[in-house]
Amino acid sequence: MFVGRVMGHVWSTVKWDKLEGLRFLLVRPHRLDDLRRLSGLPANAPVPSHEGVVVADVLGAGPGEDVVVAYGHAARAGLEELKPGGPAPAYPIDAAVVAIVDRLAVSELDAE
Amino acid sequence: MNRGIVMGEVWATRKAQSLEGRKLALVALCDTHGPTSEVVVAIDTLDARVGDAVLISYGSGARNVLSAGQDNQLILADAAISEIIDGRA
Repeated sequence: MFVGRVMGHVWSTVKWDKLEGLRFLLVRPHRLDDLRRLSGLPANAPVPSHEGVVVADVLGAGPGEDVVVAYGHAARAGLEELKPGGPAPAYPIDAAVVAIVDRLAVSELDAE
Repeated sequence: MNRGIVMGEVWATRKAQSLEGRKLALVALCDTHGPTSEVVVAIDTLDARVGDAVLISYGSGARNVLSAGQDNQLILADAAISEIIDGRA
């Protein structure tokens, strides 16, 4: 799993039918420096990262929120649980939001 | 598996039910020089502390950390701390 910032939504009308009713978000993974900044620790200047992962979301995360994204079986297991009755784990997805972050913190390593 | 250093933790209330009660550790993956900028979220059942060097298993390896055996397909884990490393030659 990774933790990242929701950058926006992804819509598509032409798609595999089992994906009907699933929302997709664009999530940018947090790097260590992003996490240090979010924890109020000194960090290098932000480097624009162009990494984006499209993930399925049934928890209702919105842009600007931090989310935990799972991959593979865990993503489908997460969907099955949150969207019971769906055809999961037969969903053709490999990444899904499994938690919306309330708080995250990284600490300074003393043995630096 | 990857070697990593535990950096911190994530707390969440709105989440998949089977993550309830699971500790989500933030682990910076290491290369031969030490921690890199890449951070993964791994389920921690060994109560690793910040600064601990750990091994992370992925996929079915992670599921086996939580519930070993064939029928653990729906265990929600794709990364789990499988070992806390004591030392390194």
